[in-house]
Amino acid sequence: MKKRVIATALVAAMLIGTVFSASGCSSEPNDGKTHITMLQYKPEAVKAFEKMEEEFNATHDDIVLTIESPNDAMTVLKTRFIKEDAPDIIGIGGDVNFSNFVDAEMLMDISDFEGLSLIKQAYKDIDKNLEFVPTEGVFAVPYVANAAGVLYNREMFKDNGWEIPTTWDEFMDLCETIEKSGQQPLYFGFKDVWTCLAPWNALACDLAPADVCRQVNKGETKFIDEYGEVAEKMLELLEHAQKDPFAYNYNDACTAFANGESAMYTIGSYAVPQIQSVNPDMDIDSFVMPGCDNAEDNVLNSGVDLQFCVTNDCENKEAAYEVLSFLLEDSTIQTYLDDQNAVPCKDKEFELSPALDGMLDYINEGKMTDYQDHYYPSEMAVDAQIQTFLIDGSVEKFLNKFDTDWLRYNRDIIRKVQEYEAGGNK
Amino acid sequence: MNKKLSRNQTFLLITVPVLALFFCFNTLPLIKGLMYSFTNFRGFGSYEWVGFRNYADLFTDARVGKSYLFTFKFALLATVVTNVIALLLALGLNGKIRAKSTLRGVYFIPRILGGLVVGYIFGYIFTYILPAITGKGSMLSNTGTAWIAIVIVAAWQSIAQTTLIYISGLQTVPEDVYEAGAIDGATGWLSFKNLTFPLIIPFFSINMVLSMKDFLMVFDQIMAMTKGGPAQSTESISFLIYNNGMGGGQFGFQSANAVIFFIVIVAISVFQLNFTGKKEEQL
Amino acid sequence: MKKKNRVAATTNWPLTILLIAGCLTVIFPLYMAIVIAFKKPSEMTNDIAGALSLPKSWSLENFAEAMRVTDFWHSLGYSVMITVVTVVLAILIHSLAGYAIGRSMAKNKFYKISYLYIVSGMFVPFAILMMPLVKQTAQMGIDNWFGVILCYLVFYMPMNVMLYSGYLKNIPIALEEAAYVDGATTWTTYWKVIFPIMKPMHATVAVLTALGTWNDVMTPLVIMSGKGANTLPLAQLTFQTQFGTNYNLAFASYLLALLPILIFYLVCQKQIINGVVNGAVK
Repeated sequence: MKKRVIATALVAAMLIGTVFSASGCSSEPNDGKTHITMLQYKPEAVKAFEKMEEEFNATHDDIVLTIESPNDAMTVLKTRFIKEDAPDIIGIGGDVNFSNFVDAEMLMDISDFEGLSLIKQAYKDIDKNLEFVPTEGVFAVPYVANAAGVLYNREMFKDNGWEIPTTWDEFMDLCETIEKSGQQPLYFGFKDVWTCLAPWNALACDLAPADVCRQVNKGETKFIDEYGEVAEKMLELLEHAQKDPFAYNYNDACTAFANGESAMYTIGSYAVPQIQSVNPDMDIDSFVMPGCDNAEDNVLNSGVDLQFCVTNDCENKEAAYEVLSFLLEDSTIQTYLDDQNAVPCKDKEFELSPALDGMLDYINEGKMTDYQDHYYPSEMAVDAQIQTFLIDGSVEKFLNKFDTDWLRYNRDIIRKVQEYEAGGNK
Repeated sequence: MNKKLSRNQTFLLITVPVLALFFCFNTLPLIKGLMYSFTNFRGFGSYEWVGFRNYADLFTDARVGKSYLFTFKFALLATVVTNVIALLLALGLNGKIRAKSTLRGVYFIPRILGGLVVGYIFGYIFTYILPAITGKGSMLSNTGTAWIAIVIVAAWQSIAQTTLIYISGLQTVPEDVYEAGAIDGATGWLSFKNLTFPLIIPFFSINMVLSMKDFLMVFDQIMAMTKGGPAQSTESISFLIYNNGMGGGQFGFQSANAVIFFIVIVAISVFQLNFTGKKEEQL
Repeated sequence: MKKKNRVAATTNWPLTILLIAGCLTVIFPLYMAIVIAFKKPSEMTNDIAGALSLPKSWSLENFAEAMRVTDFWHSLGYSVMITVVTVVLAILIHSLAGYAIGRSMAKNKFYKISYLYIVSGMFVPFAILMMPLVKQTAQMGIDNWFGVILCYLVFYMPMNVMLYSGYLKNIPIALEEAAYVDGATTWTTYWKVIFPIMKPMHATVAVLTALGTWNDVMTPLVIMSGKGANTLPLAQLTFQTQFGTNYNLAFASYLLALLPILIFYLVCQKQIINGVVNGAVK
């Protein structure tokens, strides 16, 4: 009796299983068309990509484009590489993952792609700088960027007659004025360590050379000589934070800023949707982090948020280029911008979110540098080290550790860089 | 006689395929992982052999050392807290109480809630509610207390499972044992110590090993509560292995870490099993 | 009826009250989760009174939206399928293994070593197995739901074998010998005598295995790597993106996903208690 129950259960389970596997299984159709698969890492933009996919397939008879937007796409992508089942095109961020993919020779040189000429030079330079060792060729088409600095509550500023600061002293004075009025100037979510990087990157753009990491890899300088001022100013910012900023996370800070609990928030444009989910009517604007004593020296912190690369596994380069050209058409970019808050990398004027008003001049002039953390190996956990430093307060201890850790975590890269330099000198 | 398999043959016919399956999906990948621990593999692309460099690094890496200290401190306290509360809870839930099913159901819920929910709710409790009650700062932003907050959350979640195992263990204690004990005048603590506990020792040792293992490999609660902070004070070994191995580019190095960690836990568990095993034999 | 009276007569009220009071440690967080699941993102606040207050309206909109976003019924079906097949196979295979190994390991070195070998497999960090397993399942052509189930069967084997052989220690071997004398084979003795007696353990194993598979994200994520249908936890990742989390929808979705497994637990719980009655008749 018991046995029969179990046997029935097992058979039933197996039946359900086969039904599901039959429906889940779809082999590559043999229809004589070229199939291009693309995997992009922004699941939040899935609607825009579905629309693009539809439009592309409606206008192209010989190519079938499939765009996947899986959750936790970077893990999925890495497993696809392991399975030797890489997609033809990948949509990833311009960060250390990209550097690693270039270094591991997984991406195709697309320097003969004509669409590259449409892209702002500043973003192409940013991508080029991400290569550990200068590599012959072009490996990515920058698509959209984001920018970081200081977000502010436009209404609060207007009501109180506060002015946008353009130098460090003005910024600190403003914070004091806001405090004197009984309000909170800044709110941090430093419990989530990555948010420590937002002000850090923005200050480093102003105060440290853009290629400081590469200089260190070449053995030309040390972080303790370059990052000192950045670290000092981080501590100064902390004086104007809410009480115990390490107790609150990114979401707490977004909610607090959205509810008018602070006038400013040192974060990137990417945080705007989360803030506006709490307060949809909030009028947010931004300004460039005024880290320098001279307003003209300030530089916008902007990096490539989404770029497309063709993998080495791609068998049909022409078809992939066709897809890339389609993605770069003005109407396609507009489809993306309608859905997501972003700065297009194409050298043409698009209508941008009002939250970027204060950064517009810098964007148009191309006066910007990449996020420093894009050069940091993620396993070094610089974000956590900054948090440790902010709690501890010792600049020297922090930067000395930064220097020793850097040499350890980047050992293989440093060796490559130095081999490259030695080779170049011959 | 030919048709009938002997007891031993039957056992062998069961055990060998099971061992084969286990070898195929556990040991084989482990051996491959062991191989990666001698490389600078990033998880993808090309790699080079680096000999014992990863192992040498491991023993000089302060961060890894710190993570071992944290993990053991955490696992020890969490195992004790979980097992004491779970055993009491199991005895209670097995007692003569009303609404038994409902109560058992309620106490089981923590184990089912996902990490996102637990992280948010307890994050909120520790960040806003507790400081408002105690007047002190958040436990999570203090390097001295953050680990205790994680112990609380981890225990809160795993007590459900440990209790369940104790409850099913208590089912093997026949009721006449209690009745016989009652006649002898053994009540409360004495009856538990002399009658019930010896009978559930196999379950006690299973729970000790299972919870020790779960806590030594703690990862979800860390991700949900602190992500290793504040000031890198709550980085567990699994946190490093996963985040730096999978998420970062240290796959080879963290494979070496995983190998050493595996050896350490096996050693502890063998010791634990031997210890409780001796206890079982004595009784 | 008789049973009920007997229980009522001896109810330990102080204990009952104590246990009900202890429930607060679960009810309070659960209350917060439920309230958030009903609120709109614009009702989220850092203020304690605001966070604990009831939602403005008890609309089921979040639940409907969460179900739509996760393709709920489809993902649920897929999760149920994987969990059910895993649990059924785990009960059949692991109980057999636990029996064979548990009954022989005291006398026979081979089984003692097999036991330690399997149990030690529990301590291998998943992170080290992950990449090799991904490659292996892809090469074997089982980088799909079937491979995921096979992985689960191996992951939960150590715990389950431990549980079964632990439970067998309290079951007298004399029970089997009686059947043996009647001329039954070991195989039939197992299914007729031992398997039914282990019912409370089957229920325990079912709950623990189901829990592990139900909430697991990593295994299906890496083994199926984005191909094929989503399990419920995979679909729920949608709520968390790099720079924002929709807690309200996520909580609604998690509460929905909690229900099936809670019901399953309550059903199994009955079996654990019923088992005593069977077991006591010796």
